[in-house]
Amino acid sequence: MNKYLISKKIVINDLSTFYSFLIGLSIGITIGSIILLVQGQNPIEVFSLMLRLSVGSIKSLSSSLNKATPLILAGLGISIINSVKLWNIGAEGQIFMGGIALNFIYISYQIPNSKLSIILLLLTAFVGGSICILLPALAKVLFGVNEIITTLLFNYIIIGFTVYLVNGPWKDPNSLNFPAATYVGKEVYLPTVFGRLSYGFIICILCTAGVHYLKEKSVFGYELRISGGSALTAIYAGINAKQKAFIALLIGGGLAGLAGGIELLSQTHRVSTGLSQGFGYTAIIVAAITGMRPLGIFLVGSLFGALTIGGTVIQTMGVSSYIADVIQATTLFGALISQFFFTYKIKEVTNDV
Amino acid sequence: MNQIILEAKNISKSFGKTQALKNVDFYLNKAQIHGLLGENGAGKSSLMNILSGIYQPEGGSIYIEGEKVKKLNPDLAARFGIGMVHQEFRLINNFSIKDNLTLSKSNIYKANFEEAFEKYSEIFSLSAKSSILINELSVGEKQKIEIIKLIFNDNNIMLLDEPTAVLTPQETNQLKISLKKLSSEDDKTIVLITHKLKEIQEFTESIFVLKDGVMVAKDLKTQNVTNNDLVTLMMGEIKISKIRKDNLKGTNKLEVKNIFFENSHSNVPTLENISLTVQSGEVLGIAGVSGNGQVELANIISGIERDYKGKVIVNGKNISNQGVRARKNLNLSYIPENRLGVGLAPGVSIIDNSAVKDYFKSRLGPHLSRNKMLDYLDLLIKQFSIKAPDPKAEVSTLSGGNMQKLLMGRELISNPEVIIAAQPTRGLDISAVEALHELIIKQRDNGAAVMLVSEDLDELFKLSDRIIVLYEGQIVKEFQIDEADIESVGLAMAGSVE
Repeated sequence: MNKYLISKKIVINDLSTFYSFLIGLSIGITIGSIILLVQGQNPIEVFSLMLRLSVGSIKSLSSSLNKATPLILAGLGISIINSVKLWNIGAEGQIFMGGIALNFIYISYQIPNSKLSIILLLLTAFVGGSICILLPALAKVLFGVNEIITTLLFNYIIIGFTVYLVNGPWKDPNSLNFPAATYVGKEVYLPTVFGRLSYGFIICILCTAGVHYLKEKSVFGYELRISGGSALTAIYAGINAKQKAFIALLIGGGLAGLAGGIELLSQTHRVSTGLSQGFGYTAIIVAAITGMRPLGIFLVGSLFGALTIGGTVIQTMGVSSYIADVIQATTLFGALISQFFFTYKIKEVTNDV
Repeated sequence: MNQIILEAKNISKSFGKTQALKNVDFYLNKAQIHGLLGENGAGKSSLMNILSGIYQPEGGSIYIEGEKVKKLNPDLAARFGIGMVHQEFRLINNFSIKDNLTLSKSNIYKANFEEAFEKYSEIFSLSAKSSILINELSVGEKQKIEIIKLIFNDNNIMLLDEPTAVLTPQETNQLKISLKKLSSEDDKTIVLITHKLKEIQEFTESIFVLKDGVMVAKDLKTQNVTNNDLVTLMMGEIKISKIRKDNLKGTNKLEVKNIFFENSHSNVPTLENISLTVQSGEVLGIAGVSGNGQVELANIISGIERDYKGKVIVNGKNISNQGVRARKNLNLSYIPENRLGVGLAPGVSIIDNSAVKDYFKSRLGPHLSRNKMLDYLDLLIKQFSIKAPDPKAEVSTLSGGNMQKLLMGRELISNPEVIIAAQPTRGLDISAVEALHELIIKQRDNGAAVMLVSEDLDELFKLSDRIIVLYEGQIVKEFQIDEADIESVGLAMAGSVE
């Protein structure tokens, strides 16, 4: 009987992540098409409509990019945390916490009507996200508690906390019993660049550039890579691996919090359980598909934003919006599988150990 | 007169593109001790693994007591009485000695275990009781248990893969006596894999030499061959491993004063009152069986371990309270024992690993420039003749020798003032060892103070100007190189100082 040996390729093509994304996307679209065919729909018609209604006009394009903004920001946060080989599953909770922190400061203090106060509120949202990941981060560096579990569990705590706030102390008396906090004032709405495109997307571009620099060019990013590669090598090199991991976790959580703040000031304008629609989870898909590359996260995040918008609008045709989720999930699946074939080689061996 | 108990003919075996064995013929005379000699990677372990049924050869045939064996597997090999002691022990650590010895179904001393255990304990001069757990034994004792296990499993052909690599000279001597007894009294046929000539000469009656997968000498009678013959066979040419010791020594570059260190896990003092100095242009060898405090001492000097009492002085500057980076800035280089895992980060690219020493220096920054890092790596690759396929490839794809060259190149390119090198050549083949030794000597001649931690006495004697022996965290003996001999250093390593 012959056995097969799997070994890592020595040289991995630079563009392999991109290729595997394309392969994954075509798998996703194929499976989406099959489902549509089974439902008696014409996939070409559905997809061309999705395309037109998500990127076909300035209005729809800007909606798509607005939708992409929280995905990209939370994805960047996941990516920077993954530099030290840690996983942040808690972006969803951090998005809510960003919104909650922002709203808390907004209702507690008289906010002067100025652009500066918007920036301060967004900083608050960033800090809120960091606070949300603080306990998992401390547990990780002090006691080695698995951050995947703790960040995931924090999602439930924060979402529960949100439900409490919007049904209790923050409940808007004018919301007709809908569980939501009071709207923030128009003076702190994020302005638009053109069409519906919020300045949040501009912040998103800046953050992409910033995270790219941090990860690829800065000494800090280098220290994260070495710490992630081997804690002992980090100590040997004079790097405080735990401190670097801690900082990376706080920045990553903060970016997700910032996503929540932008979402609040540009889209929902109030805290509710609908502040995030699973952005924190989709961001994990986005980050994983791109192999944690900031520029890739920006592109794939934008595409996924468009897919979500496209998915929403095709409901008018009687097609479930879940088709967009199916495509996203199968794209991840296909991309990860093809990434495996780009990274590893499988060799037939004869009777070896 | 000689009865051939096992014969392998025309054995071939390859792993991927490398052919480990090329049409190898091998045979064993009953009740003799055979030496199988060869450099690292010559194919010794592959051949032994084939004889014990673990690997299947691609070509060739095996005859046991004259009968052809079709497909040898470990089970079948055990039934023919072939047993192997691997370099990594295959003992169950939290089982007692007795449980380990009687584990196999081929065990023949079930009923009269104690009697047999007593007999072989005496032959191996093992003092442990059979109820003791394996993890309470020393490495040398574990080695003995591994060999006794073969006897208990009724293995008449015993393949021992570098059994002396982990033993002190005294334990090695003891093993020699035990093995000779086994072959003469119990008619055991023994194969000893080694690359130490001294052991081949002392242990064996017959010698086989493998070179690059080819059997270059068969059944040489030990009393008829000289060391030079064997080296010629093994390496193709004789290399003189003497090194000039006319180096000029200068000022004290490294001073260590009254170091006390307690291991935080056990509270047993790991280092007790260590004081030493190394001058510029001098190589100080630290001898000792591993686990006697060498790693801790190296970590304290390099700044990794901060929780200790005592002083570390580099170039007259007291750096006892300073961290790794401050020490690097004084141009202190540390080549750690674990090249992959400490010195190099596995899973991280070659290019990132090449900058571990200097990444925070302005030469590469302020924004870690890819091009500057690449230039730096190119420099290392050229100057230290490293074979690295792609800078972006993970460092673990390099061969052991090239990893070590990358690590040493990175640490030595700045011509450091003080070099701490721990086991710099362990597990590498002779040509890599030679190249790395040359690097250390070059640094010595440049005026560096070198502290060399090694278990390899040949290496220590070759490179050192002085040798200090660490035993159970204390300096038990210091030798000037011209007054030192292997015997007395070995005795000190085993803790017996008169």
